[in-house]
Amino acid sequence: MSDNSEKRPPASSEPPANDLRREKEQFLATFGIGARLSEEMISEYERVISRLRYLENENARLRSAVEADVAVRELLAKIERLEREKEELVHRFREVEASSSGFSDRFQEIEAELGNLANLLVASRQLHASLSPRGVMRRVKEVLAQLVGAERYAIYFVNREGTELVPIASEGIAGNDLLNRPIHGGVLGEVFTSGRSIILDDVDPSHGTLDGPPAVVPLIVDEKTVGVIAVYSTLAQKTRFDTVDYELFNLLGSQAAWAIVSATLFAAVDHRLPGLEAFVDLSV
Amino acid sequence: MAEYSCLIVEDSPMMRQLLVFALARVKNLRVTEADDGVDGLRKLASARYDIIVTDINMPIMDGLKLVKRVRSDPLHKDTPIVIITTEGSQEDRQRALQLGANAYITKPIQAPQVIATVKELLKIP
Repeated sequence: MSDNSEKRPPASSEPPANDLRREKEQFLATFGIGARLSEEMISEYERVISRLRYLENENARLRSAVEADVAVRELLAKIERLEREKEELVHRFREVEASSSGFSDRFQEIEAELGNLANLLVASRQLHASLSPRGVMRRVKEVLAQLVGAERYAIYFVNREGTELVPIASEGIAGNDLLNRPIHGGVLGEVFTSGRSIILDDVDPSHGTLDGPPAVVPLIVDEKTVGVIAVYSTLAQKTRFDTVDYELFNLLGSQAAWAIVSATLFAAVDHRLPGLEAFVDLSV
Repeated sequence: MAEYSCLIVEDSPMMRQLLVFALARVKNLRVTEADDGVDGLRKLASARYDIIVTDINMPIMDGLKLVKRVRSDPLHKDTPIVIITTEGSQEDRQRALQLGANAYITKPIQAPQVIATVKELLKIP
């Protein structure tokens, strides 16, 4: 540049140089202002960009916070709803459980009732399944032993004079203990004269004795007491009489004597069936 | 639905009848009756049974001998056996169970107990 100025023709006067210098200074001053403004603008732009980013980040953070808050509120509402549903289900489950337990109890009661009825039906069939006195007696003993659970027992019939009860069958009792009993006095006499059973429900029948039988049942034919069944003790595992035992005693009391008497009479006529003439007067 | 077969071995017709009545309440259970241990073995030789219910005190062959014979028979060695007896002591119960019986019911029998025992051994709900 210095070389170029040296080759330039000599200036004709001072003023043009001054003008140029002034213009140059003005230009430089103007340029400097522009540059400062540009720098300031760039700086401002960067500050704005930075602020924008900050605001964007803040916005995003706030938005996510709001979203999270809403989500939490939704979750809480959902939990509350589920809790209510759970409580309702638990309540319903308890109701169903109680109802089911009631059905189950009732079902068991019915099963037990059916079992009892089966016992009575089988016992009744057995008592009338034979027309031989020995067969009937065997079945009466079987009902006592197998269905009632009697271990020691005796069956007494009143003698012809009507003064004593005579043992006609027994189980588990020594011969010398098997005595005739007066129809008056003692438990057997009381049952015979009153025609009502005596069944002890407050003692363990397996511990019964010959002097204190836990069950004595009258044998009735045509509304007349003809004998008694005395259960002196039951099997060790039979520690109390159940409802079905009372029913079995009633059945034996009302049907056993009939079966024995019928079989004895049938044997007395040599097992001959009555002729048709015997039924003539039966027509109504 | 599965069908099960049960063999009742009992000398007393009354007890057999009672057991048949009781087990008739178990759905899909076919019941066959045998008069004593020998009759029971004869029936076991000709058919397969899912469960055996037997009395202990029987003439000709008692229930304990029957249990022994059944357990030595490859066809029925795993068949559940229910023993029914008048004996209630713990020793008798142990004796029957040691011989291979699976359950023990004492007389006088209760139908619901017989039903429950058979259903449990056959895994019937």
